[in-house]
Amino acid sequence: MNYLIDIMLIAVSAALINNFVLYYFVGICPFIGVSRQIDMAVGMGLAVTFVISIAAFLSWTMTTMVLIPAAPLTAWIGGFFMSPEAAAKIDLTILSYIVYIFAISASVQFVEMYVRRFFPALYKSFGVFLPLITTNCAILFACLTIMSNVSGVDNPADAWDLGRSLTLAFFGGIGFTIAIVIMAGIREELDFCDIPPALRGAAITLIVAGILSMAFMGFTGVDTGLKNALKSDSAAQIDPKPIPKDESPLTSVIIGETDKKEWS
Amino acid sequence: MIFVTIGLAAGTMLVMALVFSYILGWANTAFHVETDPRIDAVMDALPGANCGGCGFIGCGEYAEAVVGGNAQVNKCPVGGESCAASLAQIMGVELGAALPYRPIVHCGAHYEDRLGRTEYHGEQRCGAANIVADVQGCTYGCLGFGDCVSACNYDAIHVVDGLATVDYEKCVGCGACAKVCPRNIITITPFKAERVLAVTCSNKDKGKDITKVCTVGCIGCGACARASDLFTIKDNLSTIDYDAYDPSCGADVMKACEKCPRKRIVFVGKSDSDDVAEFSGDVVEPDFKTTVDDTEWRG
Repeated sequence: MNYLIDIMLIAVSAALINNFVLYYFVGICPFIGVSRQIDMAVGMGLAVTFVISIAAFLSWTMTTMVLIPAAPLTAWIGGFFMSPEAAAKIDLTILSYIVYIFAISASVQFVEMYVRRFFPALYKSFGVFLPLITTNCAILFACLTIMSNVSGVDNPADAWDLGRSLTLAFFGGIGFTIAIVIMAGIREELDFCDIPPALRGAAITLIVAGILSMAFMGFTGVDTGLKNALKSDSAAQIDPKPIPKDESPLTSVIIGETDKKEWS
Repeated sequence: MIFVTIGLAAGTMLVMALVFSYILGWANTAFHVETDPRIDAVMDALPGANCGGCGFIGCGEYAEAVVGGNAQVNKCPVGGESCAASLAQIMGVELGAALPYRPIVHCGAHYEDRLGRTEYHGEQRCGAANIVADVQGCTYGCLGFGDCVSACNYDAIHVVDGLATVDYEKCVGCGACAKVCPRNIITITPFKAERVLAVTCSNKDKGKDITKVCTVGCIGCGACARASDLFTIKDNLSTIDYDAYDPSCGADVMKACEKCPRKRIVFVGKSDSDDVAEFSGDVVEPDFKTTVDDTEWRG
């Protein structure tokens, strides 16, 4: 049950609340560059979702198997040269950036060849975007987020498994699609607007992106609130202790008060 | 310890490089798609403007269509005849007479010719003004806000005294102006000569209604159609059959031009061409140096 709640929280958080584009400001260049028409934006969004999932799989595998301390593969090979205790301390996380970029570009290349051979129609619609994705920082961001959640946690039991990592990546891609499609819709309408000459083109696009980002700020804190609500649900039945107040004050007050009334 | 770590890091990268290069190398042969080498040759010969003037999405699509036999080699409006010749050489086909395509603005009314114009303070764009009723009496004619001017990448169309006028010296015939015109009065027409005849009116209303909104519009009287077979009256509007059009323009065609009571059948094209001399009718010859109207229409 807790696992399911975790997955749901990660999904909602990646897609809406902590949207890659509008909250973390990664993946801006395709967001500005390919958001002229809705159909192209959908194509770009789907291509990113597709590649980000593959890259997340690869990066999670590489991180868990090779990069982090006490990773099985590294420890096994290191065991030939030194004591197992020393081998378990080998930390290859400094390689993360280059390994992820390597994995992303190789998988993009592979996907391009595969799609071109077996899905020519899909290749025609994706074709322009696939090479662009190689340098899309949203994908590297997803990989690094996964890494920090695998290796950067204090308790090894909290480290993300493959399911959580793939959920983050896939719904991050969905969030990117949502953002870029909304942007494309706005930009299509912008064509009919009387924009002051100085602001035409990229300038008004960036302003709109900023306003859109502020609109998505309305979601801020919903994830901690959701977490409190969902976690306190199961916790309250056993031990109705008050909600910890160390979260963002607004959400914990709103959701905390209602919870207390219901469960105490 | 440190050497083992360095060795493991290097080994990781090496193994990754080997694995990925093996997979990609295998994929390259396993998923190999046969492409015609001529496609690349055609791509190199094309100007790469990606303007879409050929009717395809970009130069790449057109190159594929040419090699696949689905498109003529002379469709590229930017490259023109030299491009068509090199494409024909690559494809090994005979090059027919390549007609350049050029836009014709099917409206001949400047501000002073248009009746029933009202003050319009809305957005100064044709696309916006077109959905507002009664901006001007004629619901078919040029609005003069210059959507086509901003669409043109070649500085080849200007609004001259309220009327979009093509500068055929600069025009490459990409058709961007025709696509953007909300009233669809710009047509992309095969130019069989440097100057061709055109009916510069689009109004399909009855003649009596047209006289109320325009002093120069075609009233569909049929004088041209009676004088020459080249013209037909369709929807109260004279049209030219460009397939049958002969650039030498026989006496009957000239007679039709003279008979036109509104003088709407005019030559358009490059201003320094030859066939004007024989023709004494109304010739559209805008002087761009003095009459370019970049100010916005103030109603």
